[in-house]
Amino acid sequence: MERHRIQTPLGRAVGLGSAKSGFEHWWMERITAVALLPLGVWFAGSLIAQSGSDYRTFVAWLGAPVNTVLMVLLLITLFWHAALGFQVVIEDYVHSDAKIWALLAARFICFAAAGIGILATLGVAVEIWTAS
Amino acid sequence: MSRDACSTTPGHALQVAPPPVLPWICTSKWCDLGDAMTKTDAYFIRSSDQVPQRSLFKRYPVPHNFGVSPGSRIERGRTWRAPANATRTKAFEVYRYDPDGGKNPRLDTFEVDLDACGPMVLNALIWIKNNVDPTLTFRRSCREGICGSCAMNMDGTNWLACTRYIDETDTPAKIYPLANMKIIKDLVPDLTHVLAQYEMIEPWLQTKTPTPGRERLQAPEDRDKLDGYYECILCFCCTSGCPSHWWNGDRFLGPAALLQAWRWLIDSRDEATGERLDGLEDPFRLYRCHTILNCTRTCPKGLNPGKAIAEIKKMIVDRRS
Amino acid sequence: MGSRKHERPLSPNIQIYRPQLTSVLSIANRITGVVLTGCGFILVIWLVAAASGPDAYSQFQRIVGSWPGLLLLLAATFAFFLHLCGGIRHLIWDSVRAFELKQIYASGWTVVAASLVLTLLSWVVGMIIAGQN
Repeated sequence: MERHRIQTPLGRAVGLGSAKSGFEHWWMERITAVALLPLGVWFAGSLIAQSGSDYRTFVAWLGAPVNTVLMVLLLITLFWHAALGFQVVIEDYVHSDAKIWALLAARFICFAAAGIGILATLGVAVEIWTAS
Repeated sequence: MSRDACSTTPGHALQVAPPPVLPWICTSKWCDLGDAMTKTDAYFIRSSDQVPQRSLFKRYPVPHNFGVSPGSRIERGRTWRAPANATRTKAFEVYRYDPDGGKNPRLDTFEVDLDACGPMVLNALIWIKNNVDPTLTFRRSCREGICGSCAMNMDGTNWLACTRYIDETDTPAKIYPLANMKIIKDLVPDLTHVLAQYEMIEPWLQTKTPTPGRERLQAPEDRDKLDGYYECILCFCCTSGCPSHWWNGDRFLGPAALLQAWRWLIDSRDEATGERLDGLEDPFRLYRCHTILNCTRTCPKGLNPGKAIAEIKKMIVDRRS
Repeated sequence: MGSRKHERPLSPNIQIYRPQLTSVLSIANRITGVVLTGCGFILVIWLVAAASGPDAYSQFQRIVGSWPGLLLLLAATFAFFLHLCGGIRHLIWDSVRAFELKQIYASGWTVVAASLVLTLLSWVVGMIIAGQN
């Protein structure tokens, strides 16, 4: 997005003017970060507690309603935070016409990953709940 | 701050004769540490005038010409030896660029006679200009760290040349202009864009209330809020050292302009706070700041642009909730 | 204005600027964030493997349990704790606290030390538990 125009220095600094927004993104990044603190610690702790466990133990653990809910919440929050973070990274480093496609791709991939993860979790949970 | 420079510079007072090894005590106003300086101080920086001494890397592990356009590539320049009668010499590698030469920038090496010049890097540059190469070009004025003209990059960090001691620099000392600036000549950066960004935040009092017959009143507590922000000398060391400004300098305002924006936001006499915040609340103008904090680390006046920007972000939160 | 042979050159930035605790921890936070997104994708793969039955799951376990997999897991653990501690430091800054240079450096080294300690701790505990299972 090269702009070769004859502009005064002030005109160049002003650019297209202030977007008067940007707070929402910053705020949601912090909200998801705060939410990820307990969820992340729970996840790390559970991973450590599940070290060396076999398939049945893990699936039984995931099927427990508390863990299912927390895992779904973790997936949502994690990929939301990741999508916001990626948006910032792409905006920082990509300035060509590829920027918009990179932004779309990042958001879609995070959405898809969250969706697949949630479905997989619920699939395991439903199996455990119907089996018992 | 080195002991030798400390004892010979006016204004410095050594309370205790320094032992052969640290710790020692300096009560000068210049080093606001005031208490014992130990080896750990090299890792636990307490003031921006502590010269960076302990780095795992002196530069990021990127190729020397990483992302550099062909016209900006630095070539090897010439070496100027010290005069024959000089006993104490030090090599300075100085970035040079001649706009009329049609060539790329280069790195010249000057051997400076330390006994013939003052203790600061600016003294060395003036010695070079007077005795070796009169075409060496740099900005300077006050020689006391208040005008901001001689801001440049020495040994990888931005500071004022007139307040950087020579014996605190590497050997050879690497003198570059302020980072990420268009260079007019040698060590003179083109400040047009950063000054335009400063102009854009409208650094003047804006009121709708008619001008009072007497002075505009301001409580001492409100005046205290300006301390730490009004003292900015617009040297642009901070903006030049901000990686976010390197990558997005055309749209991101940078720490200098944002510090001044905060100075006007908290000025109790100003009545345009809402409009100022509207102008700042932009994903690029303000929110490219990721609290990297190179700015606070490098400010030659000890100011805190990172904190000012955090305060602006907090003010934006406050006006919404 | 006169004729200029070419555009004004740009002075070097990342090529010569000194890495300092401030900028190094900041880029580390960003790099670990990107790495953790990759780990998030692997988490999703793990959950899909769990939902696909014991064969798929044991295949996944074998890959992660191999020594390159464990090495990556160690790196991922360190990335997780570095981003976690760095994130807490960022949240403290967002409340406009701990901005003095002394506090910036103290909190920075604390983040590094805490990440190393937590990584070590979690792996020691994990290996003990794995030994019991």
